[in-house]
Amino acid sequence: MPPPPSAPRLGDLERAVMELLWSGAADRPQGASVREVLEGLPADRDLAYTTVMTVLDRLAKKGLVTRERDGRAWRYTPAGTRESLTAETMRASLGDATDRRTALLHFLDGATPEELDDLRAALSEVEQRRG
Amino acid sequence: MFAVLLALLALLLAGVAPRLMARLVWFRRAPRPALVAWQAVSLAAVIAALAAAPAAVPYLRERGWLVFGMAAAVTLLVLGRLLLSGHRVGTGLRAARARHRELVDILAAPDDGGRADGIRVLAHATPTAYCLPGRRSRVVLTQGALAALPADELDAVIAHERAHLRGRHDLLLEYFTVLHHSVPDPVRSPEALREVRLLIEALADRAAIRTSGPVTTARALMTLARGQAPEASLAAAGDGTTAARMRLLASEPVSPLVSAVMYLYAGAVVALPLTLLWLSWR
Repeated sequence: MPPPPSAPRLGDLERAVMELLWSGAADRPQGASVREVLEGLPADRDLAYTTVMTVLDRLAKKGLVTRERDGRAWRYTPAGTRESLTAETMRASLGDATDRRTALLHFLDGATPEELDDLRAALSEVEQRRG
Repeated sequence: MFAVLLALLALLLAGVAPRLMARLVWFRRAPRPALVAWQAVSLAAVIAALAAAPAAVPYLRERGWLVFGMAAAVTLLVLGRLLLSGHRVGTGLRAARARHRELVDILAAPDDGGRADGIRVLAHATPTAYCLPGRRSRVVLTQGALAALPADELDAVIAHERAHLRGRHDLLLEYFTVLHHSVPDPVRSPEALREVRLLIEALADRAAIRTSGPVTTARALMTLARGQAPEASLAAAGDGTTAARMRLLASEPVSPLVSAVMYLYAGAVVALPLTLLWLSWR
């Protein structure tokens, strides 16, 4: 089943909103409102207030942003810095979790320094016989 | 009688056959028929265990309650473990992949370096490449991998990952993982799961060889291994089969005759419990 046509656009939008929250995190430690996010996004995107609200809501559900009540509106803060989320992704990808190796299919599933010599020998075998 | 034979057969196919087959190193040179044989053996084990109770039904006519009860216990136990394991492994995998896909989609822009779509690049220095299987699959590379891999090796890596996605190797791996966890601890063999993983990698390597040739594919493995080794604290040690996989790249494919024998073996193994079940009802 192909994803609905709006899905890639929504993905782009989620990424753009996260970028905006990350870049503004230092100036706005208390988080950004929907209005602030809308105003921060490029005007040529021509987005509706409700669209941005939906995107922020989705990000909150995914645990990528946290939100706090501020009067009648919500203020949104990134749940982690870009670096910490990248580190989490890499941990999930390379870490020693048992399920990881079944969840993701790696080209190379880790190598220890001791394995490298063995690999070098194997590589020269390949080069000799098939090169 | 046949119920007992089927239960013994199940034990043999789940506990002994995988250990023997994991030692047949030449199986690796024909990964596709080898994986069919592995599926056949595991499927036959499941059939044998599930057929124990139906095969014991004739005992009921002679009031052989005990035999039937024991056979039914075996069948129900295996069925229960299979369902439980399938549920646990399946939900665990899907949750882990969904979370990972969310992170990747937020962190990694689709690669716009002129290559085909579906490739995401993570801003991280450790060189690694993997795919996220599923309906909305992704091939993920790190910037470290893009920096370390020359263009031809990168093509080999991408061909390997795309082969995983195209062939739905994730489903194959999930099938074997579910079965592995459903077999009781003393019977299950970790070396069987490791061997199956190696075969799946060898199968994807075949696609990389078709695109880039064996030498380039082997060099790509070396490049990533060299890049990952210093990160011992972050990277898992792997299972030590990478050198074996690399040597497979040097080997010539087996003759079609050998493949045919392996397919025959697979067929015969599945036919065995079905034949016993049929005999029990005659």
